[in-house]
Amino acid sequence: MPLVAVVVLLTACGDSGPADRMLQQPEDLKRGRNLFVGSCMGYCHSMQDAKKDIPYLFDCEWLHGGSDDQIFTTITNGVEGTKMLGVGNKLPEGSTDTWRLVAFLKSERRPC
Amino acid sequence: MNLLRPVMLSLCLLLTVQGCSDPQPASSPSEPSSPTAGVDPVEAAAPPLPTHWTNEDLSGMDAGPVSPSMLVAGNRVANRWIQYGGDYANHRHSPITRLTPEAVPNLRVAWAFPTGTLGQFEVSPVVYDGVMYVTSSYNRLFALAATTGELIWRYDHAQPDDLRICCGPINRGVAISGDSVLMATLDARLLAFHRKTGQLLWDTTIADYRAGFSTTSAPLIVKNLAIIGVAGGEYGVRGFFDAYDINDGQRVWRHYTLPAAGQPGEETWSGDSYLRGGSPAWTTGAYDPETDTLYWTTGNPAPDWNGDARMGDNLFSNSLIALNPDTGERLWHFQFTPHDVWDYDGNSHIFLVDITYQGRAVKAVVQANRNGFFYILDRSNGEFLSASSYLEQVNWASIDDKGRPEVDAAAYPTEEPSHRVCPGNIGGTNGAWSGAYSPDLKTVFVSSVEACQLFQKGISVYIEGNSFMGGAPQPSDTVSGRAYGNLSAIDVQTGAVKWRYRDDQPMMAGTLSTAGGVVFSGNLNGYALALDAADGKLLWKFKMGGGVRSQPIAYEIDGTAYVAIGSGSWASFETFTGGPANIPEGGHLFVFAIP
Repeated sequence: MPLVAVVVLLTACGDSGPADRMLQQPEDLKRGRNLFVGSCMGYCHSMQDAKKDIPYLFDCEWLHGGSDDQIFTTITNGVEGTKMLGVGNKLPEGSTDTWRLVAFLKSERRPC
Repeated sequence: MNLLRPVMLSLCLLLTVQGCSDPQPASSPSEPSSPTAGVDPVEAAAPPLPTHWTNEDLSGMDAGPVSPSMLVAGNRVANRWIQYGGDYANHRHSPITRLTPEAVPNLRVAWAFPTGTLGQFEVSPVVYDGVMYVTSSYNRLFALAATTGELIWRYDHAQPDDLRICCGPINRGVAISGDSVLMATLDARLLAFHRKTGQLLWDTTIADYRAGFSTTSAPLIVKNLAIIGVAGGEYGVRGFFDAYDINDGQRVWRHYTLPAAGQPGEETWSGDSYLRGGSPAWTTGAYDPETDTLYWTTGNPAPDWNGDARMGDNLFSNSLIALNPDTGERLWHFQFTPHDVWDYDGNSHIFLVDITYQGRAVKAVVQANRNGFFYILDRSNGEFLSASSYLEQVNWASIDDKGRPEVDAAAYPTEEPSHRVCPGNIGGTNGAWSGAYSPDLKTVFVSSVEACQLFQKGISVYIEGNSFMGGAPQPSDTVSGRAYGNLSAIDVQTGAVKWRYRDDQPMMAGTLSTAGGVVFSGNLNGYALALDAADGKLLWKFKMGGGVRSQPIAYEIDGTAYVAIGSGSWASFETFTGGPANIPEGGHLFVFAIP
């Protein structure tokens, strides 16, 4: 397979980065879920696709980019001009926890 | 009286200069000149919309300033409604006798007025000197002629884009004192306007909204002080309520609802969790002029649904606090839900009532609490007298003879919840809507949600200004269509429910009682409702449009009785609670009349 085709395929199929590796690890996904429930849900993001003024994160529409890296960056830096602040490196296990969040979001994503 | 003059606020001018207008694309040397070439882009841009229209015609407004004695009398003078709660005791009981069960079918729309904003329209209007003061979501403030709806002055508050509001862009109304009308804002400021002209008198910052603070309630005026508390229980703030001098907006005292290190109550929080323990004070309190005692209530500890890092009772969350209004010094407290992990804010509507309890006269304070129990306390000392369920579904706890909940272990949040806990986190009743009390019938009227939930906990991480909730309620009854609502009549001397009016949707609007024996409210399907106070029979309804989340009031001018009810809900919240999500948003005030 030509190199260019491999690159295209990798790009099309996903990031194959930390989040993808965590998708295979039940404990990482469970912690990602608990982080999402405890720090992202409540009166904010929902796991039900209902009309809300806060984006639903389990479909294919991403306001700030839907690649793993872009989601990681959004969680880390937040969204300017909204109440979504970045977590920076303040999650208990730092960026590893952020990647667990990304992995959990991917694990629950509906087919596009 | 209706001369309007647009005033561009200096803030908006600043925003215009710094970027309110669309940026002009830079011209390259090879492009032809645009028609505006050489013109300062700021001058070429359209002017910003005015956000403040004042009034110069003062004719007809000669009742004089609102005095402390007027505030004590409250709405006993029928042409006024000058307190959020109608009076200092929070009865929301109109003395108008012509609003009877026989007469209300004759109610007709006198006038209506749009707010032009989305989100919950939760206002309790204030009426004084022939003028109605109405606030909308996002802090618009309108002064309207109370008999015609004609606009007298208007102020639109410029809001930042990154407000820290958990639950909608709410405001519940103004306070009035002297010639000042006071409104608290979503970005945690307190503003005073001249009641006749609408001119801004002062503007005080209560707190930095970016740290998680907001204000949504109507201030309470006590003597020369405006008392206002903050929201922010979902952001891990250190809750408080303040008193400001109504003449200049200077803060006189602050009462923190959480202890500082070494203060009483610190021992009820594990570790240093009291530093970010929430316990906001986002509703309006009550005042007893006879004893010069202020009563204020507090909300949930933070994080809401995971209490593992804040073991203990978590004082003074979910409490009723009695204070010296001059100093803010606490006299006593009673905590309704110690170590709350359900978001059972203790700050729903409180009523000061004089009752006979088990044969003895008691000056009581009563509350239909968000946790599903109706409490009767002695307001002179905080002594617990009784608690009884006013809902059809309560299973999270029973209350012992000292007023402390005995919690069902199955009710605590878990990572994989499967147990339906009742009531859900909205309640019961909720501080977002008011109740009413008929002294004639010794009965309180409250709207409530009948819905249970699964309470799920997760990992909570505190970051200043970010949400700090620790979990999430799963609205299982909403999803399954089991959620509904009641408007209940509760005997304040026993706590017994006399009657219930059932609605297919949760009932989340305030109530109004009249001396003629009628209870007004509304439902999420957009109907204004009038019930017979004696038995709950539906007497009248009117389709206003959007779901009703407002606080009805009544007043009488020139022989005509008026009832004002706001229409307009918030689709996000209706989805969460079980209301209809397909009714468009948009605030609209309706004023009905009986000649």
